[in-house]
Amino acid sequence: MTTSLKLNGRLTIEELNALPEIPIEGITYDQMYIEKEPICPEYQAPDQDIIPLSNRSFVMDPGRICMPFGAMWAGVGVHKCIPFVQGAQGCTTYPRYTFCRIFREPVSIATASFHEETAVFGGRKNFIEGLRNLIIRYHPEVIAIVTVCSSEIIGDDMEGFLEEARDSLEEEFGPKIFDEVKFVIIHTPSFVGSHVEGYNRAAAAFLKTLAKRSTPNNKVNIIPGMITPGDIREIKHILKLMDIEGAILFDISGTLDCPLRLPQSMPYYPKGGTRVEEIVDMGSSLATFALCHDAGEAGATYLEKRFRVPAMIGPMPLGIRYTDSFIKNLSEITGKPITDEIKDERGILIDAMADTFHYTMGVRVAIYGDPDIAAAAARFSCELGMLPAIIGSGTESKQFVKDIWETAHEYDFEPVILNGSDMFEWEEHIKKNKIDLILGSSKAVNISKEANAPLVRIGFPIYDRVGYQRRAYVGYRGGEYLLDLIVNTLLESKFPDDRVHQ
Amino acid sequence: MAIPEEYKLKCDFTIPERYKHHALSNGKEPNIPASNIKTIPGDMTERGCAFAGNRGVIGGPIGDCLQVVHSPAGCVWYQWGTRRNLSAIYSWAGPGVLCNDSHNRRHAISTDLLEKDVVFGGMEKLEKACLEAWRLVPGAAGILIFTTCTSGLIGDDCHAVARRVEKEIGKPVFVFDAPGFCGVSQSIGHHHFNNQFYEQITEYREKHPEVCMKEEEKGPYDIAIVGDFNMDWDLAFIKPLFEKLGCRIILVFTGGEHFENLIKLPDVKLNVLHCQRSCTYISKLLSQGFDVPYVNVSLFGLEQTAEALREVAGFFGSEDMKQKAEQIIEQELKVVSPAIDFYREKLSGKRVGIYVGGPRVWHWQRVMQELGMKVVFGMCTFAHNDDYEKINARAEDGVFLVDAPNEFEIEECLERFKPDLFLTGLKEKYLCRKFGVPTVNSHSYEKGPYACFRGMVNFARDIYQGVYAPVWKFVRDNDFI
Repeated sequence: MTTSLKLNGRLTIEELNALPEIPIEGITYDQMYIEKEPICPEYQAPDQDIIPLSNRSFVMDPGRICMPFGAMWAGVGVHKCIPFVQGAQGCTTYPRYTFCRIFREPVSIATASFHEETAVFGGRKNFIEGLRNLIIRYHPEVIAIVTVCSSEIIGDDMEGFLEEARDSLEEEFGPKIFDEVKFVIIHTPSFVGSHVEGYNRAAAAFLKTLAKRSTPNNKVNIIPGMITPGDIREIKHILKLMDIEGAILFDISGTLDCPLRLPQSMPYYPKGGTRVEEIVDMGSSLATFALCHDAGEAGATYLEKRFRVPAMIGPMPLGIRYTDSFIKNLSEITGKPITDEIKDERGILIDAMADTFHYTMGVRVAIYGDPDIAAAAARFSCELGMLPAIIGSGTESKQFVKDIWETAHEYDFEPVILNGSDMFEWEEHIKKNKIDLILGSSKAVNISKEANAPLVRIGFPIYDRVGYQRRAYVGYRGGEYLLDLIVNTLLESKFPDDRVHQ
Repeated sequence: MAIPEEYKLKCDFTIPERYKHHALSNGKEPNIPASNIKTIPGDMTERGCAFAGNRGVIGGPIGDCLQVVHSPAGCVWYQWGTRRNLSAIYSWAGPGVLCNDSHNRRHAISTDLLEKDVVFGGMEKLEKACLEAWRLVPGAAGILIFTTCTSGLIGDDCHAVARRVEKEIGKPVFVFDAPGFCGVSQSIGHHHFNNQFYEQITEYREKHPEVCMKEEEKGPYDIAIVGDFNMDWDLAFIKPLFEKLGCRIILVFTGGEHFENLIKLPDVKLNVLHCQRSCTYISKLLSQGFDVPYVNVSLFGLEQTAEALREVAGFFGSEDMKQKAEQIIEQELKVVSPAIDFYREKLSGKRVGIYVGGPRVWHWQRVMQELGMKVVFGMCTFAHNDDYEKINARAEDGVFLVDAPNEFEIEECLERFKPDLFLTGLKEKYLCRKFGVPTVNSHSYEKGPYACFRGMVNFARDIYQGVYAPVWKFVRDNDFI
C-alpha cells in the first residue's frame, strides 16, 4: 500500500525491466519511478550576503540573452530578410533553436562559420564569400548583418568588408544586384547589452539604412518590440478599428506564425514580414510609436531627429491605463476619433474586471520579464487590485524603474524592484515572501513549482506550452485574455471547487 | 566515387564545392563523402559550435558539479535546460524541498563578461565567481569551468584560476577549453572535452590517489558505459541489461553521473562505448594509458542490442555470462515482440530520412530495417570518415548521404525523396513540417527512452504516430473547396 502510494502508480526501474510484456503504447520515463538523490544530505541556506547580484561576480539563471538574438528577431520580421551572423556557428544555431522552441516555426539565419583561422586572420574572407553564397542561392531582399562577441573582439571592420563585398558582387552579378538586395549592419557585441538592446539597435540600424523622407503618407509607424505575433495582430486590429493605416517595423506576425499550405516556395520563405518599401516610407509617416521603450526607442528617436517624425515612446499598451494612453495618442496624432467598437472592447475588459475582483484583490504577485513587459504587467496587476510585491527585469533599464515607481505611488505600495538582476535573486525573494501568483516566462516554471506559487506565463520566452505566440496580451482584448488566465489560474490553485460553483 | 549526375542537388549548382559532401552508400566499396572539413560560409548550415559539443553534449550531463561558463550571459542561457540529458541528482530548493529539475539542468551560471572584462581580462572575475558560486550552491562535488569565444579570445588563463580555486575549496576544479570558433563543428568540442578530461583526471588521480578505486574494491566484471548522456532516461533500460548480464557498472560517462565516479574511469575492466563519435577519443586514451580496452556497441534496436550483450559477454569470456546473454536476448525479444510486430506491420515499406549529428545515422539503419522501413537518405552534421564507413556497412546500397547538410539541401531532399517520415532535430522539425513531412525529434526524443529492447517500443510508437497522424491527410488535401 505505502509503496504504491509513494510510487503513485509508477514502476521502479527494476519492475519496469522485469515486466513480462511491454504494451503497444510503450513505457515512457514519466511512468517510471526514479528515486531522486539529493546532492547533499540537507538544505543549507545560501550565504545571504551574496544573494544580491550587486554583491556577486557571476549571474545565476540570467533573465536575458545575448544582444545578437534581438537583432536576429528584428531581421526575421522583415519580408525575405535573412540575418547573416558574423561569428561562430553556435551564435546562429542556438538562436535558431530558441526561435523554433518559442514560435514552432522554421527560421532561416545564415552564419559566417568562424573557425580558428578566422579568429587569427579576421572574418573578411568568410564574410565576402558567405554573403555571395547566401545571395546566389536564397535571393534575399534584405540581409541583416549581425555582429557578435567574437567579430567585435577581433575588430572586424564590417563597413569596410561590406564595401569590398559590394565590389565583388557587382563584378559577378552587375550593378542590378543592389536593386535586388539591401544590406543593414547591426553591431551587437553581447558583452555590452542584452537581446532587448539588440532589437533596439536593429530598429535604429534598419531605419538609418533604409528610411527616406518623401511625400507625407498619413501612416503611423509601429515598432512593437519583442512581443508575440498575436500581439502584433491585435495592434493591427486596433488600427483597423480606428481606420488608421499603420506600418509595423519587424512584423513577425507574418513570418513566425505561418499557415501550413502546400506547395511551399523553395527555399522556404514565409509570405509576410515588413516590406522594404514600407521601411523606406517610414521617414514620411505621421509619427512613430515604439511600444516598448527599451526595444525600439532608438529607432523612433532616429526618425524624429532625422525626419521630424514625432516619436511616441512606450509604455507597452497592456492593461487599461497603458492601452488608454496608446489609443489616445493614436487619436491625437491622426485626428481619428476613438470609435465605439474600441470603447466597447474597453467596456468588455472592464466588465470582466468587475466580475472577478474578489478573486484578484490582495493577491501578492511576483513579476519577472523584459523591462517593458514587466512594468506593464505590474501596472495591470495593480489595476486588478493585486499587489506586485517583487518585480524584476533581466535587462537593466532606467525607464523600468521609473514606470514601476509611478505605478507604486499611484497604487500606494512599495515593491522590491530588481533592475537588471538575475532570476536567482528574484527567486530568493519569492521564497522569503508570501507570494500567491507568479507572472513570468517558462524560465520561471521551476521556481513556481518549488515555491508552490502558480505561474501565469507572460513575456519572453514561452516554450513549454503551446499557443502563446498566437495570443495577444496587448490592447483591451489582450487584457481580457490575460485577465482570464490570471483568474482561472487562481481559481485552479487557490480556491476550493465548491466556492467557485456559483 | 563522385556522386552521379542525376543525384546532384539543384540547390548546390552555385556552390559546387558541396558535391564532394554527397555520396551513395555502398556496402562493398564504401563511398565516403568529404567530412569534418570547414563549412562553406553562408550556406545555411545546421552545424553548431565547439561549446555545444563541449558542454552541451558531454559536460552538461554531469550530475553533481557546479558548472561555471566563462562568457557573457547569452551562451549559458542557450544551454540552460534545453537538451533533455536527465539525472537523478537534485539540489535543494528549500528545507525539505528538492528542486523541480535535476541539478545539471536547474541552474545556469555565467561570469557575465562585460566590456571592461573584455578589455582588462576576466580572470579575477572568474576566480571570484567560482568561489562565490561555491558558497551559493552547497553540496557540489567540484567545479567545471567552460570557456567560450569571448573568454578564448581575451586569452584568460583559466587553468591558473582553477588551481587557485581548487586549493581554496578542496575539491577538483577542471577546465574545459573549447571556444565556439575552434574546429569546424560541435565535434571538436567533444574531442577537446575528452582529451582535457583525460589529462585532468590523470593528474588529479596522481595527486590524490585516495580517489582511485582500491584493488580490493575492484571486481572482475567492472564496466563503464562510455558515451551515453541519458537522454529521456535511456539509462533506465541500458543499465539493467548489463547488470543482468553480471557486470557491475562503475560509472556512465557522462549521463547524470557523480564526479566521484567519473574519476574512476581508468579503474574499470572494460569500456562499453556507445557514442562512438563523441567518446572514442577518451576510450582510445584509456586503452593506451591505462590498458582499459573498449568495445563498440549500438544500443538501439533489437539485433544491435543483442550483439552488444554478446560482445560484452564474449569479451569477458565467461561461459556463464555468454549463456546469460542468450537468455536475456530471448527473454527481451519475447517481451517486446507483440508491440514491435504491430508497428512493423504498420510501418513496412514506409520511407524514412535520417538526419542526426553523426552516429545515430548508422545506429538507426538497422533499427529502421527491423521496422520494415526503407531509409532513403541519411545526413550527418559533424560525422567523420569512420561514421560514414559504418553507415556504408549498415545501410542498404544506394542511400543518399549528405555531410553537414544545409537548410536548402534538406528541403530539396524532402521534395526529391519524398520520405514518409524524417528523423531529425528541433531546428529542422518545423521546416520539414511546413513541407508536410512528419518528424521525430532524434536528439532529445519525443517520448523516450528509445534505447535497447524495451525502449525500441517507444521509438516505434513515436514513428508510427508521426506517420499516421491524421493531420497529414489534410495537408495534402488541396481540393477541399
